[in-house]
Amino acid sequence: MRVGILRSPSPLPGFGLSFGIMTAILSIVVLLPIGALLGRGLMIGPADLWDMLNSRRIWSALTLSFSAALIASLFNLVFGLMLAWVLVRYRFWGRRFIDAAVDLPFALPTAVAGIALTALYAPNGVFGQALAPFGLQVAYTEVGIWVALVFIGLPFVVRTVQPVIEELERDLEEVSATLGARRAYTLRRVILPTLTPALLTGFALALARSVGEYGSVIFIAGNIPNITEIAPLLIVIRLEEYNYDAAAAIGIAMLVISFAMLLVINAIQTWSRRRIGLA
Amino acid sequence: MPDITLSRPVPVTTEAPLIRGLLIGVALIFVALFLFAPLVTVFVEALRQGWVAALDALRLPDALAAIRMTLTIAAIAVPINAAFGIAAAWAITKFDFPSKAFLITLIDLPFSVSPVVAGLMLVLLFGANSTLGGWLIANDMPIVFAFPGILLATLFVTFPFVARELIPVMIEQGRAEEEAALTLGASGWRIFFTVTLPNIRWALLYGVLLCNARAMGEFGAVAVVSGKIRGETATMPTMVEMFYNEYLSVAAFTLAAVLAMLALLTLLLKSLLEWRHADLLAATRRH
Amino acid sequence: MNIEIEELAKEFGTTRALHPVSLPIPSGALVALLGPSGSGKTTLLRILGGLEFPTSGRVLFGGQDATGLSVQERRAGFVFQSYALFKHMTVFENIAYGLRARPRKERPPEAEIGRRVQRLLDLIQLPDIGARYPNQLSGGQRQRVALARALAIEPRMLLLDEPFGALDAKVRKELRQGLREIHDRTGLTTVFVTHDQEEAMELADLVVVMSMGRIEQVGKPADIRARPATDFVRDFTAA
Repeated sequence: MRVGILRSPSPLPGFGLSFGIMTAILSIVVLLPIGALLGRGLMIGPADLWDMLNSRRIWSALTLSFSAALIASLFNLVFGLMLAWVLVRYRFWGRRFIDAAVDLPFALPTAVAGIALTALYAPNGVFGQALAPFGLQVAYTEVGIWVALVFIGLPFVVRTVQPVIEELERDLEEVSATLGARRAYTLRRVILPTLTPALLTGFALALARSVGEYGSVIFIAGNIPNITEIAPLLIVIRLEEYNYDAAAAIGIAMLVISFAMLLVINAIQTWSRRRIGLA
Repeated sequence: MPDITLSRPVPVTTEAPLIRGLLIGVALIFVALFLFAPLVTVFVEALRQGWVAALDALRLPDALAAIRMTLTIAAIAVPINAAFGIAAAWAITKFDFPSKAFLITLIDLPFSVSPVVAGLMLVLLFGANSTLGGWLIANDMPIVFAFPGILLATLFVTFPFVARELIPVMIEQGRAEEEAALTLGASGWRIFFTVTLPNIRWALLYGVLLCNARAMGEFGAVAVVSGKIRGETATMPTMVEMFYNEYLSVAAFTLAAVLAMLALLTLLLKSLLEWRHADLLAATRRH
Repeated sequence: MNIEIEELAKEFGTTRALHPVSLPIPSGALVALLGPSGSGKTTLLRILGGLEFPTSGRVLFGGQDATGLSVQERRAGFVFQSYALFKHMTVFENIAYGLRARPRKERPPEAEIGRRVQRLLDLIQLPDIGARYPNQLSGGQRQRVALARALAIEPRMLLLDEPFGALDAKVRKELRQGLREIHDRTGLTTVFVTHDQEEAMELADLVVVMSMGRIEQVGKPADIRARPATDFVRDFTAA
């Protein structure tokens, strides 16, 4: 019966087995749980969902989660691009070491990053003390959330842009110079547009990751309702109160907003790819 | 025109030396502040009261139980994930069937779902107040606040790692070698072990490495489903949080330091793979 | 403008890409640098264009030392083998690029840029493709757009690296004629690199045969055919 799925018969064996294992694990691990959340949403019904979401605390948390993720991802867009450029184009002592270190946020557990950042930026921490004279408090403020999300999102931008910079054709930069363009003009008009699709992909990945980030944020955020309380934390709180419907409502809201955002970014990406003749 | 001597001019494909130096400087400072400083802090805080205190913290029964739990979870979740990745890659790259793109999107989906929402999904599916969960608990097979829940949460967040590393590599390698083996009379399993596996082993190892790092380090999803019961369902990352919230700073940071060393080991192995086998990995060639 | 190459040498690390070579190029000439790969012809062209810097020696443009001039200051129209068209810009934007890149004071007004681009599109006999993107063009069209783009900056000379290398035989013949016509109409000193002796002999006024970083012979095509100076020249031009 499985073979009926195939568009064209293949002489290779193992379709039934591999397709079976894949669908079984995919269903148990991913599809069933997502179905449970969406099913819960359907059972509650859109009107009640809206009622549950329509509170100042939830709107503040959702707004904070998305705006902080946006700010951190924009920051990473700039610094990630710079870091990728430096790592690909310049030769300096320690380059390979830095290159390997960029993946640290992928490898370091988020809770570890969270307590380390908090220790650094707390009023009695090294950075906290250094910033205090300037009236800057990072830990237990929204700025602290930005710092944690910058840490989490950085490798996404660097690692998506890096290979594209490596494959840039030098001809384009050279021809631009022979046409009289200064270096800055070449960077702005020739190189940046070529990197735009990759930058958008990196940005989208960093954004998706930071919106839902929990472990690295809760330690440094202070978690004051309406001010520094992120949406995932609110889900955890509702779950601890056994208020499953309210938790599900926030979870669904996060899913919907995330997908809407990714759709928009996807659309921009397709448009910009078409512009540089990739699609 | 002034007399121009040969002072080494700057090639047109790079920036002026001053700007280059400036960019390198800013990049180094950025990496030092945002990446290295937190890492160093973990070890500094762990050793704040000396080696003895740090090592003592690791001997706490709760810490030992958490380490055991994390190792057990990884030991089960990673092989399942690898099996899924291989099966998915085999089905997707060796056969033609409709809606492959949709399937790949589904496999990637867990990356764009918040770990906390992932945990929430499992609680809604298997929690005491759901039909399925109630039945499982009545039959003495609890999933939430128990080992299976932690395992499922870990599987969810690590889900795409192996598959998305293998699929591009296997697409690139095509089917010709397997088909050649088939004409020589090899059986399916024989083809897999003697032709396919040797071709994908480094990519597989790479995916397993990343999967393992995430499996041992996952916090949000596990925190939600495990109930964080000390000595029973607490993993290393959740134990770090509990120690930290109880102001047991040395214990928290020592356990964190163990996780950090694991992360460094992962990075080291990952870099080695990237330098030695870059041509056989998808990650180093992605666009 | 005449070009004077004096004792020009180029080393990449320990390998010598160019032994000291000297070559006068008269104003308005159409010159072919002919040789196999690795003969140093492309290196010489890139040094003329300011993309590569000589280890020693001088280049004079119109009697003035241009060795230390930056690429931007040279105003040499350069056509790359791959054409290096900007994929994210239309043909119009590609050709206008050099004019728009000028500092504000020297930049012509948009209307003037528009007129100039249209004149160049007419010159390359593709008057209607301004709104297209490079990936919508054929290989031959791309080559001509690259040529128009190089001409837009009112260059002092035209440098072309294997300008017909990426084209099939039929298109190649047509475009050879096109380059000849454009050269004759603009009167620009033109240097092109090729490994195809037939192309060099048919198109150029002056052929410079190169091998292993040295100039083997300089002469009119007929002279080189009739009296090859070395065995290498005889072998390479016999076809």
